[in-house]
Amino acid sequence: MSEPMIQLSEVTKIYTRGSEKLVVLDRFSLEIEEGEFAALMGPSGSGKTTLLNLVGGLDAPEGGDVWVAGAHVSEMEGQELARWRADTIGFVFQGFNLLPVLSAFENVELPLMLTPLSRKKRREHAEYALELVGLKDRAKHRPRQLSGGQEQRVAIARALAMDPKVILADEPTGDLDRASADQVLDLLEKLNREHGKTIVIVTHDPSAASRAHKIIHMDKGKLGRIDVNPVAVAGS
Amino acid sequence: MPLRLVFRNLTNHWVRTLLTIGSLTVAVFLLCFLRSVLISIDSAVVSSASNRLISQSAVSLFVTLPLSYQGKIDQVSGVAGTTKMNWFGGYYQTQENFFAQFAVDADRLLPNYPEIEIVEGSIEAFVQNRTACLIGTNLRDNYGWKVGDRVPIISALYPRMPEGAWEFDVAAVYHSNRDNIDNNTLFFDFDYLYEAIEADQADGPEGVGVLAVGLRDPGDAEKVSAAIDQLFENGPQRVQTTTEAEFQRQFVGMFGNVPLFLSALGMGVIFAIVLAVLNTMLMAARERVHSVGVMKALGFVDRKVAALLVLESLTICLIGTTVGILLAMLSEKGLRASPMGVFFPGYRISGGTVVLCLIGAVVVGLIAAAIPASQIQRLRPVDALRSEG
Repeated sequence: MSEPMIQLSEVTKIYTRGSEKLVVLDRFSLEIEEGEFAALMGPSGSGKTTLLNLVGGLDAPEGGDVWVAGAHVSEMEGQELARWRADTIGFVFQGFNLLPVLSAFENVELPLMLTPLSRKKRREHAEYALELVGLKDRAKHRPRQLSGGQEQRVAIARALAMDPKVILADEPTGDLDRASADQVLDLLEKLNREHGKTIVIVTHDPSAASRAHKIIHMDKGKLGRIDVNPVAVAGS
Repeated sequence: MPLRLVFRNLTNHWVRTLLTIGSLTVAVFLLCFLRSVLISIDSAVVSSASNRLISQSAVSLFVTLPLSYQGKIDQVSGVAGTTKMNWFGGYYQTQENFFAQFAVDADRLLPNYPEIEIVEGSIEAFVQNRTACLIGTNLRDNYGWKVGDRVPIISALYPRMPEGAWEFDVAAVYHSNRDNIDNNTLFFDFDYLYEAIEADQADGPEGVGVLAVGLRDPGDAEKVSAAIDQLFENGPQRVQTTTEAEFQRQFVGMFGNVPLFLSALGMGVIFAIVLAVLNTMLMAARERVHSVGVMKALGFVDRKVAALLVLESLTICLIGTTVGILLAMLSEKGLRASPMGVFFPGYRISGGTVVLCLIGAVVVGLIAAAIPASQIQRLRPVDALRSEG
């Protein structure tokens, strides 16, 4: 049997504020297979975003192990971790997080600067990613000249530019209207189905969660139940 | 892309960027000016002739020496020749048109000052005509005077009666190839001054301000100056003889410790620049925390993200410095042509000053970026992403 794409084992994360210690993840274990589309749900403060940060190597746990795509993420740090993140993970944030001083095209091209690709190749990659999200004609627009939905699609194009194995999306539709949210979810679904990307999204939106193969419920830093979505599984 | 990102970040807050560059420009201009003034002051000392002494009253530069002293000094062993140098203190038409004029021994000036080269007219005409004058190339260029022109000069020190102005005929134009003599001076025959005072056509102190003493052998400077001072030890007017370099140094010293004052001013300017750029870079770093988080999340290493801020700081410093240097260079001609130019004959923005300013710009850029860049480098992506976007 092959290794899971994402594996968390007995992960503990504690935030310290003054003398107060807050256990955000308590001996949390989870596995997500390659090519899976998983949704993390739960009330605010249940540790969803923290979990996503640990998987993406943005934060480090106090205990336990995090493995992603065969790499022992919780043991990596510094340059090695940054390099791994660039190669393996594509992030999509609720607030889009595009650099406001760069155009849509330049935002997508930005992570490609970390590769040895020639300028021409970088251009091709960025154009392809923008084409994939249907925004090639908005390439020269700055983020403030785009709608929220378009900004999020640019952010997805940026996450795709490096062809990552895993896409982590933290409430990707949280700031969007229904129509834009659906467009973004359609896109994520397509990336999962047609390009085989492993996708983990954090969401409060049942409609968004309904696109996932499995819905992982969290509460107070602990794993609740896992619902398998037969419709989504059948469609993939 | 890194350069594009730096440029975009700079132009994103273009008012702040322009103000910082502007403050750097003014500061660098001031530094170039101060350093060039210091060099100018020093150049008059450095370029002073080693085979010339200056004899003046031991009481003060403002007390004249009896005319009879010149003949006695001429007789001192080791002296090649002397010439009077008498400050005239006049101006052309208005007091703003101020420049140096000296009454000299017309026939002795050039033998004693070989650095003066006649470029137009003839020295014979200067020597033979009592009202003749010799002008520097800057005076020719500034006032459009040419050989044969008659130039009226008004002197508060030697008021001419009844007309008020002295008339000088331009006999020749000179160019000095050393900084101890500037090209902004008018020389005329001392006898013209003396005879007018004798004939009650002019008023003013009798005697001569200083005597420039040429030496046969520069190695005898100490011996000859001691001999001259010894000669007049019992009066009627005691004499102080120094090398030309020492005379220049004392002259500058009359205004207080100018080099120290200017250096202190320069240090203050540098300190102010560092604070101005540091403030800008701290603001830039604070605003960019969220973007830094995004870049780190995308896989940019800490060092690379911090380097962008350093590059931004260096860009601001180098642009401001370059503009400041260019402005200082543009001001060079204007200052030399202005009345202030008299005091700074060797004023020029040297290659050394340019290099020093550029090195300074890099150092200031690095110092100003050090704290904000290190803050950015230490930021964890997860914390940076939590900040306001």
